[in-house]
Amino acid sequence: MRERMTSSRAAFTALNLLFLALIAATMIVPLWNAVVVSLSSNLGSMQPGIQMWPQGFSVIGYQTIWNVLDLWQPFENSVIVSVFGTAVHVLLSAFAGYALAQPNFPGRRIVTGLVLVSMMIPFEAIMIPFYVTMQELGLLNTLMALILSGAVSGFSILLMRNFFRSIPGDILEAAKVDGAGHFWSMWRICMPLSKAGLATVALFEFVGRWNNLLSTVLLINDSSKDTLQVALNGLVNHGSSTSSGNLITTNVKMAGIIIAILPLILAYPFVQKYFVKGIFLGSSKE
Amino acid sequence: MELLRSQTITARRQPLAASLSKWRRAVPLYMMLLPTIAYFLILTYYPLVHSVLISMQNFNLIGNRPFVGLQNYRNVLSDPNFWTSFRNTLVLGGSILVIGFVAPIIIALSLNEVLQQWMKRTLQMVIYIPHLFSWVVVGGLWIQRLNPDGGLVNAVLHVFGLRPVQFMSDPNLARWVIILVSVWKDVGFNTVLYLAAIVGINPELYNAARVDGANRWHEVWHVTLPSLTRTMQVVALLSIMGVLRLFDQIYVMRNAVIEPKVDVLMTYVYDQGFTQMNIGQATASALLILLATLLLTLFTRRLVQFDAM
Repeated sequence: MRERMTSSRAAFTALNLLFLALIAATMIVPLWNAVVVSLSSNLGSMQPGIQMWPQGFSVIGYQTIWNVLDLWQPFENSVIVSVFGTAVHVLLSAFAGYALAQPNFPGRRIVTGLVLVSMMIPFEAIMIPFYVTMQELGLLNTLMALILSGAVSGFSILLMRNFFRSIPGDILEAAKVDGAGHFWSMWRICMPLSKAGLATVALFEFVGRWNNLLSTVLLINDSSKDTLQVALNGLVNHGSSTSSGNLITTNVKMAGIIIAILPLILAYPFVQKYFVKGIFLGSSKE
Repeated sequence: MELLRSQTITARRQPLAASLSKWRRAVPLYMMLLPTIAYFLILTYYPLVHSVLISMQNFNLIGNRPFVGLQNYRNVLSDPNFWTSFRNTLVLGGSILVIGFVAPIIIALSLNEVLQQWMKRTLQMVIYIPHLFSWVVVGGLWIQRLNPDGGLVNAVLHVFGLRPVQFMSDPNLARWVIILVSVWKDVGFNTVLYLAAIVGINPELYNAARVDGANRWHEVWHVTLPSLTRTMQVVALLSIMGVLRLFDQIYVMRNAVIEPKVDVLMTYVYDQGFTQMNIGQATASALLILLATLLLTLFTRRLVQFDAM
């Protein structure tokens, strides 16, 4: 009886690991394959079959996408929009989160309501009037429009508010006795104590902005201001190219994909650490 | 008399003064809130209110905008493309919702059985990776992988002696591709949420179950799963709100052949508004979708009695 239990347990463990390995393989194999193909020669990348190693090692894919197709400009736009947009977003969320963490000041309930209700309005549902508003503000076709859209969000505000609330009241009391105002106590006490919260919001926002497609599709008409995702979408998925007449081989497409995921892979070790806590903190409203 | 009057005045003045100083003390807080309030008013609520107006106009970006009443709504509701998109949203969104709800629970339970910490952590990281990528990247990867001549999936099928499959030019297959790729991308995110919740379960509960003679299946069924209800509610609510927002994936992965089977409500809005410049009608349909989302969200909240959110 005991023997059978352990052998069935062993069988279960083996099956379980096999199941997980298969799932992990569906994540890893396409990715590895993309790396391999991006490092193949033009002809090698078009070879059929399961490629697990570069066919005629070459960096021509990267050279083509960078020099011939000029992906540098969209890449730069993406960096500008993601970095500045994230900075603005983190700062505004922290300010608003701090203010809303303060107990009982007049009008607090109304502002909280404004923030909460905004979370129920998905951007996609107001994309057309949003576009019209941006046009009225004269911001269409500017990177500023991309930085400003999503400058703050209800989710980030709540996340920061919940972080600030977890700071022991004694510390803030002591600062107040010492004559600290709100700005000082936020900047010098709350922010340094909430680095994990700030990092969570920053990473969420950076990844979101780097991957954002819809805002650029809507607000940018001028291809010199396109972000990486839009330029890449034209290249990889619809075969269009800025310089006509180029046949875009698979290695070029995969090189573009690798360039688009590189910053995220670099940020990844930090993302894992913060985001579980973040999603739970941000999703509790009371 | 004089005394009495001054008393009433001070009595009246005091709360006024108190509330004034209350407001004065709140000034720094309002300065901190100012950009946020301005953002929400100008770039969320104003567009929302404005869209009610736009939806009742024959809206032109330049030139006059005649008022047409409910005509746009009538046009939307009598447009067969709207109803096709509606049906596709139900089919695609519904399938993504159900499969995307069950899959991470199974994977999390399965991962939890792995005893070696390093293996558990590595698998968890690997499964989470696709969630980080944009739809352009994920769509691009899978379109290439599913390519009938030489794509990885067809190469694997070839090994098993099967003929190449035209995944992205058969509308019914493409639907499944959209559903499964969507689940593939997000499964890791929810899996990690469930794993975090499983770690937080009180070990006393398992001990108590064992004392009562529970085997491992009983433990999973009677202890682990019931302890995950709150996480299930978070996941369900987030996913339901996501269903009607389905846009990026379709925008990236669709092509002319499969469009009738995969176009969803948001691509309908986009096409009406920016391809056909039919802004009034697009706005009317977006408002109808928003209304449906709100009702669905409220309904779900009531259904799962989600008070914390």
